[in-house]
Amino acid sequence: MATHVEKTGSSLIQINPSKAPIPFIILGLILLAIGGYATLQVLFKGHEAVYGVTREVPWGLLISTYAYFVITSTGLAFIGGLGHAFGFEKYSKVSKRIVVMAFVILLAGFTQIGMEIGHPIRLMIYMILSPNLSAPIVWMGVFYGIELVILAIELYLVFKPNQTAKDHETAKVVGFFALLVGVFATSNLGYVFGSLNARPFYHGIYFSTFLVISGITAGAALLMVIHNIIYGWNIPEKLNSTMNALGKIMGMGIALMAFLYLWKILSSIYTQPGDAYLSAMALIKGPLSKNFWIGELGLAVIIPFLIIVFTKAKNTKALGVAGIIFMIGLFFTRYDFVVAGQLPPMRKALEGSGVEAVNGLVQYSPSAGEWMIFALGWGLFLFLYFMAEKFLNLETDEHH
Amino acid sequence: MNEKRYAIVLDTKKCLNCKACTVACRVENEVPHEDGAYRIWVTALELQGKFPDLHQDFEPSQCQHCQNTPCESVCPTHATYKTPEGVVLVDYDKCILCKACMTACPYDARFVHEHHKAIDKCTMCYHRLAEGREPACVETCPTKVRVFGDLNDPNSQVSKLLDTNRYYRLKEDRNTNPRLYYIIK
Ligand code: SF4
Ligand code: SF4
Repeated sequence: MATHVEKTGSSLIQINPSKAPIPFIILGLILLAIGGYATLQVLFKGHEAVYGVTREVPWGLLISTYAYFVITSTGLAFIGGLGHAFGFEKYSKVSKRIVVMAFVILLAGFTQIGMEIGHPIRLMIYMILSPNLSAPIVWMGVFYGIELVILAIELYLVFKPNQTAKDHETAKVVGFFALLVGVFATSNLGYVFGSLNARPFYHGIYFSTFLVISGITAGAALLMVIHNIIYGWNIPEKLNSTMNALGKIMGMGIALMAFLYLWKILSSIYTQPGDAYLSAMALIKGPLSKNFWIGELGLAVIIPFLIIVFTKAKNTKALGVAGIIFMIGLFFTRYDFVVAGQLPPMRKALEGSGVEAVNGLVQYSPSAGEWMIFALGWGLFLFLYFMAEKFLNLETDEHH
Repeated sequence: MNEKRYAIVLDTKKCLNCKACTVACRVENEVPHEDGAYRIWVTALELQGKFPDLHQDFEPSQCQHCQNTPCESVCPTHATYKTPEGVVLVDYDKCILCKACMTACPYDARFVHEHHKAIDKCTMCYHRLAEGREPACVETCPTKVRVFGDLNDPNSQVSKLLDTNRYYRLKEDRNTNPRLYYIIK
């Protein structure tokens, strides 16, 4: 129970004396300006003129970044749910940060899908007027929409002054739903890809599972990174057990990711010579191989895993480093996931077929405009999150 | 059955690769001259045989108007829909340009139409059919590679051609049940 009854006015807004958030707020503003410029370009010149996606590879950097953000958000909501609903106190010690981070990073994800889709307003109208219930994109809208509302309620609850026992009960229920809807949202996102007849690489249960697990791992990693930043790489001792627990989640998550990789790659290779095989080969020795070996495996699996194992997840600085490396690597993981499945052409690149291919695969590389929209998402996340760190009280009271 | 079930039967051996069909389609349907904007295409297949006894086949193609329709099932707004005759169409006003249908289509039949700001693809020239006219590509072809007609009418030319010839359809393994039939000769 909160004990600061007399301080209700000051418990929400509280200027953090730490200077740590300031550079990130400024960086966020710069990225927002870059992204704002690209947004205007898109509005005036149209998507086709600014983006590098093609007829053959219709989904590119923006969908990857969208996936990166929203899956991390649901991963955070999952960890928050463990704290709130299932009483894992170690996680509830950082519950305010979890909720703010999950909310803001979900918004960052929405910037990407909003700029990707040709008619975002029409989307809202026709998904209500004539929704196709068999289309996973409809459910994506439903689940992420609900997730946003749940996180908003959680935000209200964690910042509500004068918390009562009833509020804690409500927080438990809401936390549980955040966790549940998050898992549905992410696994359904896997099915958005899995439902594409033309793209066998995505078929099956693999990506739905992989996205959920890697999302939870990302949630843990991001929490460790942000805590290190906020506390100047010197996390207070009272949070050591929390960081240790997050480190363990991350270690376990990475181990599961590696396990899933093994079987996915093997099963794709042995569908030779189908399209799933071509996608896997694009990762292993094709145009995405650097991303795959260095980014996906080196940065998102091997290095952070070794750091966690060697430090037994006890050294919080090392966990912060592992978290950063993981979050960078994970970006390649998301990008490769989205792009690899689309590289096999739908017909041979012969004269007149309209398809151009190199070594039997179509090509895609993001345009400057797409990178600038990517900056928009990061800008929004950094600006809003670190503004919250600076001006709201994100230290969680010990209330359990 | 009084409902029509439209199909196109192609005899590719007759194809000269003159590409008149692609031009006719572009004009009839105002398809813009932009990268990746085309509703139909004619692929020059690999050379076959041994020198000097070489020959080459051409394969005209377009949206297959799949009966099991991968593009329709992923379209969130029902912008992509099937007419009672089985023609797959896009309602430009409902299309949100999520491009799910483009990634779902195993025939790479769809593209973003920059002027309509929506997905576009072959419509079997649906606007002409009510007037009893054939699709532009069918009408224009000098050697009559394509034959258009109603599969539910046993006396239609398409039904007769399919009764008397062996044929294949593209990517049968995708279980899309296409409405374009390629005669084997
Ligand atoms: S060919 Fe492609 S666009 Fe045409 S109906 Fe089949 S899946 Fe849809
Ligand atoms: S791009 Fe348009 S037609 Fe295609 S799935 Fe999305 S809304 Fe439907």
